[in-house]
Amino acid sequence: MENKTEQIALLLDNTKCIGCRGCQTSCKQWNNLSSEKTEFFGGAGYQNPANLSGSTYTLVKFHEVVEDDKLKDWVFWKTQCQHCINPACASVCLVGAIQKSENGPVVWDDSKCIGCRYCMLSCPYNIPKFEWDSVMPQIRKCFLCFDRIEQGQIPSCAKTCPTEAIMYGTRNELIEIAEDRLSSQPDKYYQHIYGLNEVGGTLILNISSIPLEEMGYPKNLTTEPLASRTATSISSISPVVVGLGAALGLFAIITNRKNEIAKQKAKEVLK
Amino acid sequence: MDRRTFFKFGAITLGTVITTFALSSNTALASNKEFKTSKSKETSTICPFCGVGCGLIVSTKEGNIINIEGDNDNPINEGSLCSKGSALFQVAVNERRLKHVLYRAPGAKEWEKKDWLWAIEKIAKNIKETRDKTFETEKDGKIVNRTQGIAQLGGAAHDNEECYLLSKFARALGINWLEHQARLCHSSTVAALAASFGRGAMTNHFNDLMNSDVIMVMGSNIVEMHPMATKWIMKAKEKGAKIISSDPRFTRTSSIADIYTKFRSGTDIAYVGGMINYAISNDRIQHNYLLNCTNASFIVNEGYFFNNGLFAGYNPEKRKYDKKMWVYETDAKNNIKKDTTLQHPRCVFQLLKKHYERYDVDTVCNITGTPVDDYLKVCDLFTSTYPENKSATWCYAMGATQHTVGTQYIRTYAILQLLLGNIGIAGGGINALRGESNVQGSTDMALLFHILPGYLACPEPDDVDLKTYIEKYTPKSADPKSANWWGNYSKYITSLLKAWWGENAQPDTDGGYAFNYLPKKSGVNDFMSLFENIYKGKTEGLLIWGMNPAVGGPNLNKERKALEKLKWMVVAELWETETAEFWKRPDVDPSAIQTEVFLLPACSSVEKEGSIANSGRWTQWRYAAIHPGDEGWHGDARSDLWIVDALFKAVRKEYNNGGKFPDPILKLNWDYNSGDNIDVDIEPDVHAVASEINGYFIENGVRKGQVPGFAKLTDDGTSACGNWVYCGGYVSWGNTEGDKSAPNYVKNYLGEFSNRYARRIAEKDEPKTMALISEGRAPGMNHNWSWCWPVNRRILYNRASVDSNGEPLNKERWVIRWNPNLNEGKGAFEGDVPDGPWAPSEKYPFIMTEEGVGRIFSPKPNEGPFPEHYEPLETPISVNPFSEQMLNPVVILYHKGDELNKELNAIGLSNEFPIVATTFRLTEHWQGGAMTRNLAWQSELMPNLFVEISKELATEKNISNGDKVSVITARGKVSAFALVTNRFEPVIIKDNGVEKKIHQIGLPWHYGYSGIATGDSANLLTPHVGDGNTNIPEYKTFLCNIEKV
Repeated sequence: MENKTEQIALLLDNTKCIGCRGCQTSCKQWNNLSSEKTEFFGGAGYQNPANLSGSTYTLVKFHEVVEDDKLKDWVFWKTQCQHCINPACASVCLVGAIQKSENGPVVWDDSKCIGCRYCMLSCPYNIPKFEWDSVMPQIRKCFLCFDRIEQGQIPSCAKTCPTEAIMYGTRNELIEIAEDRLSSQPDKYYQHIYGLNEVGGTLILNISSIPLEEMGYPKNLTTEPLASRTATSISSISPVVVGLGAALGLFAIITNRKNEIAKQKAKEVLK
Repeated sequence: MDRRTFFKFGAITLGTVITTFALSSNTALASNKEFKTSKSKETSTICPFCGVGCGLIVSTKEGNIINIEGDNDNPINEGSLCSKGSALFQVAVNERRLKHVLYRAPGAKEWEKKDWLWAIEKIAKNIKETRDKTFETEKDGKIVNRTQGIAQLGGAAHDNEECYLLSKFARALGINWLEHQARLCHSSTVAALAASFGRGAMTNHFNDLMNSDVIMVMGSNIVEMHPMATKWIMKAKEKGAKIISSDPRFTRTSSIADIYTKFRSGTDIAYVGGMINYAISNDRIQHNYLLNCTNASFIVNEGYFFNNGLFAGYNPEKRKYDKKMWVYETDAKNNIKKDTTLQHPRCVFQLLKKHYERYDVDTVCNITGTPVDDYLKVCDLFTSTYPENKSATWCYAMGATQHTVGTQYIRTYAILQLLLGNIGIAGGGINALRGESNVQGSTDMALLFHILPGYLACPEPDDVDLKTYIEKYTPKSADPKSANWWGNYSKYITSLLKAWWGENAQPDTDGGYAFNYLPKKSGVNDFMSLFENIYKGKTEGLLIWGMNPAVGGPNLNKERKALEKLKWMVVAELWETETAEFWKRPDVDPSAIQTEVFLLPACSSVEKEGSIANSGRWTQWRYAAIHPGDEGWHGDARSDLWIVDALFKAVRKEYNNGGKFPDPILKLNWDYNSGDNIDVDIEPDVHAVASEINGYFIENGVRKGQVPGFAKLTDDGTSACGNWVYCGGYVSWGNTEGDKSAPNYVKNYLGEFSNRYARRIAEKDEPKTMALISEGRAPGMNHNWSWCWPVNRRILYNRASVDSNGEPLNKERWVIRWNPNLNEGKGAFEGDVPDGPWAPSEKYPFIMTEEGVGRIFSPKPNEGPFPEHYEPLETPISVNPFSEQMLNPVVILYHKGDELNKELNAIGLSNEFPIVATTFRLTEHWQGGAMTRNLAWQSELMPNLFVEISKELATEKNISNGDKVSVITARGKVSAFALVTNRFEPVIIKDNGVEKKIHQIGLPWHYGYSGIATGDSANLLTPHVGDGNTNIPEYKTFLCNIEKV
């Protein structure tokens, strides 16, 4: 799909990442996110917590590259919402709580979310998470610091990165930079820009010393936008899940309604 | 804060995008809410964690801190932060922060809440009681004027102004058991670098790393410990620089390196000694530099020799050398004899060559366990920087300093860098990386037993008066071309005494200018000796300022036990630390511990104002974001400045009614605009302190204007200066000219600019500077951002970067150059502030050594003029291939005394403990841990103690990743999770000709029993043994065993 306005994006270059996790903490700082109780490590190397969650929108992972039983490298990379240009999550959302903004970020609105989790099921990268410790879990995920971008500031993670392993810019500019790095340093990079065409393209562009698939990213993704398959996706969800989702949805609608009534009453009292 | 410049960087061009940015349909989350930081007040600050000195902006709304993120304008970090810096918000906004004064009565099981006035008065009475009881005015017929019953620790996280007052306070009381974090982290640095170049500081600075061709990281894990340094390393890398990482363990630093080599912990002198040998035998030496800038051509006296691991002059009973055996040969006029052909068998160069011939590649690799091919690659790459247009820097930290031969590790770097001509140049130098935000400043302010502010010697009983002292410590040079800057010693000590005792210090007062008010030290009063002393019950009271020795000290079973013997202890802190609650630590009975404890709630770095010096000596100003009474304020918390001011005033009040030798207290010049009485609502004036540190002129007993620079200080009582190296930093009052809040005594004197620490003009905003950079001047100096000692000089020893005409040796990245048109046609240097203003041919380049050159051969270190390899206290090998001397022959040995003490100071042998262990730190945690293990975000990232072990060792011991294991040494045992990794590999060495596989493991030492993230402290394992010069503990190498639980 051609975009009328230019898309903004992040270029994640794992050859520059030092695994300091400034991005992970600064994300929590800016978004007032809590922390989880962890023990030892939640993944390879120093990874913690184990997964993205309602309180972790971005997570740095660690991987020891071993060849012939010898350590070749220790690599780090940042995981987060890939921000599809045509996001399946937005197209499956029953209430329009997830939206694709015109210029890029896939954002969410917790006043609308009913907690059905269709978005979660539709995501090829398994990104949308819910606040499981909440009575009424709602969607949570990276929204590319849309609030900051609106104010002319750059996303918190990109700002905090000491080594420009996270670069913020227009998608076209960043693609050019990525292509230039790949062609000028062919020994350093695996020759692929992950996110350029995957699922029709994402705002997060990854370049790396090794294939991203070796670091746990989905393999052989279609280059077709998943949003165009939404109908198929929804119909393929098992009836049990739909049933649960619908029940939660109904619960959420009732709760929302109750909240609305409460708010209304409060206003009346104030009068 | 300038809003226009605030959000200028960090992104590539975005202009057009931002303006058209909108959601296509309904507005979503982001647009619905008010922007987080809108309508907030902004203050700039500097990160309180490591020594890089990153800037941050604190946003405050209605007295609450609501956001803290990187300061885009700060040229050190340009808005970036690591995970600790990003978590500073949780230091400022945290329910775990101390809110009240807490008191623990002797034997009590819990804290009681108290108010400030009660606590300050009670502590003052304790101080007076102990001081009066233990005060010695004379020892063996000589004046000492000291109390050995009180000790003071801490200060590296404090502002300069606080450190200065802590130093002044302790000395006025007569305390000479005065120590802080610097002893444990970089004391050996100061000993080695001062012995080599004349100053103990990091030679260059962080931004300058971008000017390097080769960056050697050995003895440091720069990427993890100083993440923002990586910003500049990456810039160098983009320009083609190569990075070397040599470390027993493959770290996040190794991940960005072009070459990684492993080696056995504790063999660095062999490793670097071999590099020196490689440089000499392959003639990779900058010959002109060697002749002009080093003592390579100097001839050493005939008595000097080196044989079987020992230098001339060793006394085995005293475990000491007679350093008179290591002097230069001089002529009748006292001039040093030289041989500029470098052929004389006793010239330094030939002695050096001979000394390191023994360090051939095979011998080196057999002992270090480094694969020969890898090692040769390192030798080749590093020494390839010997031409004038190439630069290499050496980055190191605790991996080097914390060994029994720590000082000599660093000496090897100095020798190698002098051979290659890498000192004084852009991208060169020896970058001693400081791990605490102001450990440079706290060291400058002399929170150490052996120095006074500005690296003046702490007097000893033999220094009977000021005249004797000056005579003893002022170095002399017969050579008129040697600037011998320390020749000004008398001005600095006299001005210090004037700053401290003001008009009470007259030429004839007590030893001259009240010289004998200073306590005299006998022997060593360092951190480990202090704990040995406390353990023996010789110390009654301990004052601790923001330090956590119950996690950070070595051999913790002993040191924690020692604390129980204190009569009273005062801790000023943000948190309830392991040290503060040692009396209720696991497995002890509080009722059996009679120590009275005061825990005082202090301010974090964003709640007070003052300056801190980063590792590169850039001294930056921090502002208070919130104030007492604000909604976000932490109860009764007060700054350490307030606490020490209040405490001093309370002690002074006690002495008004008499006591032992009250003069140093009663006559102390102590007035920081907070009144004579203690008032919790009046903060002392930090600017008054800063201006005293800088120094002021005195005319007929009246304070006049600020001293503009230390060249103007005097020794006739007409100037006062709290610390001569900071002279020039605070030349006038306030942040802007004509500040109305300035008191009268400084209002009359206004320089063109005032608080230089607060300057915020980055280099890229200065067209003139940028023009010079386009002419080849090395970028990154940022002279108008903050101020650095000495005299705002960014690269030390920069006179070594030019030839005798003042032409830069490297025209592509010059530091200074002689411009004959400047100075009304008389000529002057331009670029960086030169290391002395003289024309290049007038003076030698190293102005802080009496020889005027860098010392390849240095008679200063205690174990010899050249570094020699000795094994750690606990070694896995049976034979030192270089000599019969296994251990550094001059280290202090504590493992004697009563039975329990013997056990607590036990030494492990390799048959029982075959594995080499080392300790390390993590990006996510900081030092003793209180500052990060109390933060939820950092605790989530690194929740538990773990031990890194190789796959091979894991297989041998049947350990899987994530298993609980015990690590055991002769002194202690810790429980940890096993992190099985490819990043550790055993090293294959040859011991006495026999091949041997040595396993190495490593543990982070941040953990303890307090905070959110808790775990055993790795320092339960480490030994009580230190370096031969500064007694910095040998944390980095010891023997252990490991078992699956």
